[in-house]
Parts: sequence; C-alpha cells; structure tokens
Amino acid sequence: MYLTLNAIHKFFQDTQKETLKDISLTVERGEFICIVGPSGCGKSTLLNLVAGLDTPTSGTITLEGTPVTGPGPDRVVMFQEAALYPWLSVIENVMFGLKAAGLPKDSQREIAETYLKMVQLWHYRDYPIHQISGGMRQRTALARALALDSKLLLMDEPFSALDKQTIHILRAELEEIWEKHKKTILYVTHSVEEAVYFADRIVVMAENPGRIKEIVPVAFPRPRNIEDAAFVALRREILSKVQLSAREIAADEFDKEEETLL
Amino acid sequence: MKTKKIAGNILFFAGLILLWQFLYTAACDWFLWAKPYAIPNPTGVIRCFLLLLSDGTLPAAVFGSLLRVVTGFFISILIGILLGICIVNSGCLARNLKPLILGVQTLPSICWVPFAILWFGLSESAIIFVVVMGSAFGIALAIESCIQNIPPIYIKAAKTMGVDSYQLYRYVIFPAALPAFIGGLKQGWSFAWRALMSGEVMSASMGLGYTLMIGRDLADINQVMTVMLVIIFIGILIDKGIFTTVEHRILKKRGLV
Ligand SMILES: Nc1ncnc2c1ncn2[C@@H]1O[C@H](COP(=O)(O)OP(=O)(O)OP(=O)(O)O)[C@@H](O)[C@H]1O
Ligand SMILES: [Mg+2]
Repeated sequence: MYLTLNAIHKFFQDTQKETLKDISLTVERGEFICIVGPSGCGKSTLLNLVAGLDTPTSGTITLEGTPVTGPGPDRVVMFQEAALYPWLSVIENVMFGLKAAGLPKDSQREIAETYLKMVQLWHYRDYPIHQISGGMRQRTALARALALDSKLLLMDEPFSALDKQTIHILRAELEEIWEKHKKTILYVTHSVEEAVYFADRIVVMAENPGRIKEIVPVAFPRPRNIEDAAFVALRREILSKVQLSAREIAADEFDKEEETLL
Repeated sequence: MKTKKIAGNILFFAGLILLWQFLYTAACDWFLWAKPYAIPNPTGVIRCFLLLLSDGTLPAAVFGSLLRVVTGFFISILIGILLGICIVNSGCLARNLKPLILGVQTLPSICWVPFAILWFGLSESAIIFVVVMGSAFGIALAIESCIQNIPPIYIKAAKTMGVDSYQLYRYVIFPAALPAFIGGLKQGWSFAWRALMSGEVMSASMGLGYTLMIGRDLADINQVMTVMLVIIFIGILIDKGIFTTVEHRILKKRGLV
C-alpha cells in the first residue's frame, strides 16, 4: 500500500455541503488510477485533499506511511490550466521546483533538459510562455511536474482544454512516459475514453454526496487502441454508469421540484 | 507615423500658446479687463524661464526638489511594501487598519505640514516627512490589492512544488504582482510629487515650491507660472519616461499588450 485514503469526508462550511462522503482507496506504487464522475461530484476536491491544498473534515491520507498534512513536492499537481509563470521562459518554468529544492544550477538545467526533450520542447526552451501554444503549455507543465520526480503525480483534467488531435498526441506521450518511469498517477478526467485508455483501475464516482460508486479494473494490454471492440464496450459500460448517476441526480432534483410545486 | 504624431503635438501646443497670448493681449491691452501684473503671458514666462535658468536658480531648485522627492519616495516604497504585506497576512489588520489607511489616504498632504514643522522644524526632514505621509499609504494599498489579485493557482502550483514562504514571496508573489505594482508606484509617485509641493510651499528655503512662493512675494505672476509649468513638465516626464515605459516593457515581455 503506497497511498491510502482512509474514510475521507469533506464538508464545506461556506456552502454547508457534504462534498465527499466516506472515500476509502488504496493505491499501489506505479499504479495509474483514473477518477471519473459527473461534474461537481468532488473529483477536484479529492485531488486537492491528496495534494494537501485542503484538509479533509475527517479521515486520513497517508503516502508511504506518512500522513499528508500540507502541500509538498512529493505530490506534484498538474492543473487543468497550465499554471505556468508568464515571467519565466519555458525552461525556467521547468526548473522552478528544482530551484526551490535548492539544486545547483547545473543539475537544474540538466534535469530540465531531460524532461523538455522528453516532451519534445527542447527547441522552445527559451520561449516566453505567451509565445507557445496551449498544447505546448500543457507539455511544459507536464515536464515541470515530471522534473520533480515526485512520489505521486496528481493530474486534474490536464488535457481537457485542448483540441482532439493534440489530446491524442499528448495521451500517447504521457502513456509512454508512464510506461518508462512507472510513476504513480492519480488522474481526474471527465473523458471516460481517456480513463479506459490510461487506467489500471478506474474509480467511478457518484455525486451528492460525492462517493465512490465502483472501482473498475482495466486489464487491456498497452498501448491501448481506442477503436478496439473490447475497449469500446468497456467505455460504453462505464459511461452508462457515470450517466446513470447523473440522471439519478437530475431525476432526484426534478422530483423535489415537483413536490415543492404541489 | 510617429513624426506625424509629434508634429501634431507641436502644432497643438503652438496653437495653445498663441491662444494664450491672444487672450492676454485682449484682456490686458484691448479691453482692460485685468491688470497685466495679475495675468501671466507667454513672452513674460519665456523671459522669466531663461532668466531663472541662466542665474542658476531653476537648476538648483529642480535638483533640490528631485533629491527630496526621491528620498521620500523610496522611504514610502519601503514603508508601503511592509505595511501592504502585513495587511495581506493579517485578517485583523485588513479589517481594522485598511479602512483607516483608506481614510488617511484621502487627507490632503498639506494637513501634515503643521506636524512636520513641529516635529522636524524647518528642515529637509520636515518636507520628506510630508512626502512620505502623502505617498506611503497609497503604495501600501496598491501592494495589498496587487497581491490579492494574483491568480490563486500560481500560489497553489508553487506550494505543490515545495516552496517555503520566503521562496513563495521572492519567486512567485513579487514577480506576479510586479506589473500592477508598477502601476501603484506610478500613482504613488504623483502623490509624492504633489505632497512635495505642499511641503515646499510651506516650509522650504530652496526648491521648486519655494521658487514659486518667491514669485508670489515679488508679485511676479510670470515666475509663478514658469515654476508651475516646470512642475507639470517634470511630473509628466517621470510618469511617462520612467513608470509608463517600465510598465509597458514588463507587460510586453509577458505578452499582455
Ligand atoms: N472552496 C469551496 N467551498 C465551498 N464549496 C466548494 C468548494 N470547492 C468545491 N466546492 C463544492 O464541492 C463540489 C465539488 O466540486 P469539485 O470542483 O470537486 O467538482 P468536480 O468533480 O471537480 O467537478 P468538475 O468535473 O466540473 O471539475 C461542488 O458542488 C462545489 O460547489
Ligand atoms: Mg474539477
């Protein structure tokens, strides 16, 4: 057991909303876990808790036996927006965490070079952020996250703002990198296709309150082909589970409205 | 394109000066609406400017005033940054001190002159005190607001990459706040420049404000006008020449213009 979430609850005082209820999950080292669920079910909230950017109302999170109490470089997050610093160049962004860790300049550059080459951006290393495309920004953010060689990589819909073609390229790149480095990844997505493409196990969440509905193991060999019959069948099955819970909610709210009308 | 714009500027101001001369002549010579000693005129102002320039009064006054305002402005920046950061980091200060500072900020800086004279006498420090009081609070408020407006994701990302709080300020908060901060400094500068004039008019024995008051004492309206124009010109020069240029360069580097 590498990462353990033990009976996590999250209640937001501001909105008086029980956002996460009784989330328990264990993740092995090197596992690729995808989290899917309807919008608003608390996926980002869960990721923030693991990152230490927020604290659970009750329950504990431990990584390699150490409880999570705050954010740290052993749990790097890659956000939906690239969150790169516009006052730094591409390579300076990648070196940011290494500089914070106090590494000597030479090794900062060396490590940044390795990862920038990995995401095929070495040529653009001195570009300012506003002069590279959205896809290149996400690749820079990926290189920045990988460069810290964290125990856990947390990704919150990292590719969702990109076009289909770029997504396919980046997916293949991430998959390749993961196979090579066997990083432990927690990956939030609203694309079931993406989840089936990446995951060793898919965590399907339901909302109100946000909870784990089902955990689906995916055993297809890699790299996976999204047009494979088995792939498509599993995608459909999981999609119906996600949509079902979304529809249940909708029906629930509809009923309530009817009741108040009567 | 650029030469055309400059030509337009020159033409506009030449026209303005002509109009001024015309109004002066009309008022004082043709219709006798006003006494010539109460209305400045372009030729008088130019003559006065050349005189003050050649006898060294004006260069000395400009130098003295700039020295004071720069000293005061730097002290204001230091106080402003410290105060701003304190407000950002303390909910108590944000609730109580910030409204107070907002209030003090509306106080015309000339109100500080009695304090300045009582505490520091008729000295350089008195005028610098007025400058600091006139601009430090505005800078503090600017610092506070530009730190508040930093996208939270910058800070979150930095925290998950393991920065400590010193590194967070040095590598993220300060650079992220910089463009807005330069804007705040620009405003602080104009407060400081105005406060300087209040201070100098009341208590200096040298400087632009003092030269202006000498003009009043000599009933020389052209000297008053000359000094006013120099004050305006220096204010614009520093605003456009320094702050706007730096601001523009930073924004351009980040692709924001
Ligand atoms: N800081 C907060 N304060 C109060 N409520 C919050 C806060 N953050 C999130 N919530 C609530 O928690 C719920 C889950 O939000 P969250 O962002 O985790 O959803 P999500 O599953 O990531 O959705 P999406 O797929 O749209 O990104 C929402 O109903 C939201 O209103
Ligand atoms: Mg989300």
